[in-house]
Amino acid sequence: MLLVWLAEAVVFALIVAGILAERPLALAAAGVAIVVAGALLRFVAPLRSALVCAFALHPTAALLGGAALALVLPLALRSSPYWTFVATLALLYVTIGQGLNLQIGTAGVINLAGAAFAGLGGYSVGLLTVGAGWPSWLAVAAAPWVAVAVGALLFVPILKTRGHYLALVTIAFVFIFNILMNNLEFTGGPQGIKNIPTLRLGGYAFTARPTLGVVELPAHANFYYAALATAFLATGILRRLHDSWLGLALNTLRDDEIAARCCGVSIAREKLIAFSIGNFFIGLGGALYAVMVGFVSPPDFDFGYSLIMLSVIIIGGVDSIGGVVLGACLLVPLPERFRFLHEYRLLLYGLVIVVMLLFRPRGLWPAGIRRYR
Amino acid sequence: MLELREVSTRYGPITVLRSVSLAVGAGQLACLLGPNGAGKTTLIRTILGIVRPVSGSIWLDGARIDRLRPHQIVARGVAVVPEGRRLFPKMTVEENLRMGAFIEWAPADFAARRDHVFSLFPRLAERRRQSAATMSGGEQAMLAMGRALMSRPRLLLLDEPSLGLAPVLVEQLFAMVQAINQSGTTVFLVEQNARKTLEIAHHGFLLQKGEVVGAGSAESLRRSELVRHAYLRT
Repeated sequence: MLLVWLAEAVVFALIVAGILAERPLALAAAGVAIVVAGALLRFVAPLRSALVCAFALHPTAALLGGAALALVLPLALRSSPYWTFVATLALLYVTIGQGLNLQIGTAGVINLAGAAFAGLGGYSVGLLTVGAGWPSWLAVAAAPWVAVAVGALLFVPILKTRGHYLALVTIAFVFIFNILMNNLEFTGGPQGIKNIPTLRLGGYAFTARPTLGVVELPAHANFYYAALATAFLATGILRRLHDSWLGLALNTLRDDEIAARCCGVSIAREKLIAFSIGNFFIGLGGALYAVMVGFVSPPDFDFGYSLIMLSVIIIGGVDSIGGVVLGACLLVPLPERFRFLHEYRLLLYGLVIVVMLLFRPRGLWPAGIRRYR
Repeated sequence: MLELREVSTRYGPITVLRSVSLAVGAGQLACLLGPNGAGKTTLIRTILGIVRPVSGSIWLDGARIDRLRPHQIVARGVAVVPEGRRLFPKMTVEENLRMGAFIEWAPADFAARRDHVFSLFPRLAERRRQSAATMSGGEQAMLAMGRALMSRPRLLLLDEPSLGLAPVLVEQLFAMVQAINQSGTTVFLVEQNARKTLEIAHHGFLLQKGEVVGAGSAESLRRSELVRHAYLRT
């Protein structure tokens, strides 16, 4: 158990060091430390097997330790509001990734319109608060349902097409969404919607800087904790779903529709359930993004973001709940760290995906076998 | 129990089944013999509702089922070992068996059913956490049978279960089919292995080019010129 916590603490320290190191020397040291740690894990077999054993034996301790470290992360990052923001973004991608993974990974419904459904969540919050004057929390609660409802537009193509053809339909959907947002009057056109009021819960505004005892955190820490709670809930719910009878049935219709039908799986019902639940969580992620940033505009939800969402799943591990968490936590902050490469860092995305598909097609954290009592 | 009345099925312009009529009584072991391309698999798929007939009607226990969807038909107590077995290769043995009971959605006696299947096929118990793709052909055949039995079907459709099995395994498989039938399940067995099939079946039908060209008791089929000539080569 101690070993588990020790390992988690080391990873945590490395991440924080890697994020906060500013001077080239410190950054290089952090980078070398991370590479050394990775190499130790990869090439020292006894260490690796000891760690694997420890984590397998104490899953609850590992989860608690991870949760505790996630809770103190804003403390470690308190000098940098920017990195608190990035960490929050990563957590939003966890929520979005879990929803998308249910569709793409578990059910095989290739949805490349993730950005559009996140955008539906975001724009709904904008319209409901700025346009209709709803309180932010109510708008955030309602927005995912808009994503689910508009997703119903795609029900027919989802049942009629599969694989690449479905991917094309959903790509078209993102572009239609973007063109509409750019040109519709009531969504603000290319300007988008500005001045979305921040989240307020019981009189507490999320723009206030929270203080823990004597330590003052950046205002973004509020959203960090909200996003953490959401990501935790989304992961928990989708894990239950994945391990349930429904999750298993979704896997069967991804693998062999005829065999699934022979087992009495209703393809239509199961696909639409998975698609709608997935859209709910994608929309929720978009809604939280809107209240956090305070404005939404078409380029925030263009096709490129669909691809980032897809990469989160591919790099983490298709159909792997843990993989989504890992993928989001790697893929969102890392490019920020490489900002000095300017736009070339986007090439890194492409490179990473190609390398992953070549050498580790099942992802960094491949989906395991379900456990039954 | 199962009755087809003048069922015709078409894939686009191609007629696969022409006015097929046949009936299987409760508790019987009926067989359907026919060469490749006769429409045997299409017939099974039509019964299951995966393919819709263009005319005719299908009845299960006096209720018409040809307008129902596959999951509704499965829910009425029909199970199938499909052509080529169609296991879920990436899933474990246990998960494949779960899918067999899926139609009842987490039945309380799932463990009991699974253990019953394990008692019929002890090899499956040894391999329960192994993925289906890594098993031998014989084990896969057992798993396909076990999966179909998990829903406690009243009517079991078997589409060429012996395909690709070694002779000794075929022997065991037919014994198992007979045992399942004797324990009260109606069986409709689609096969090419006419000799073995007619040894265990009560009665059967001959399908050629989408038409039923012969029917009768297993005994009479064994003696008929047509079967002897086409299948038994005696």
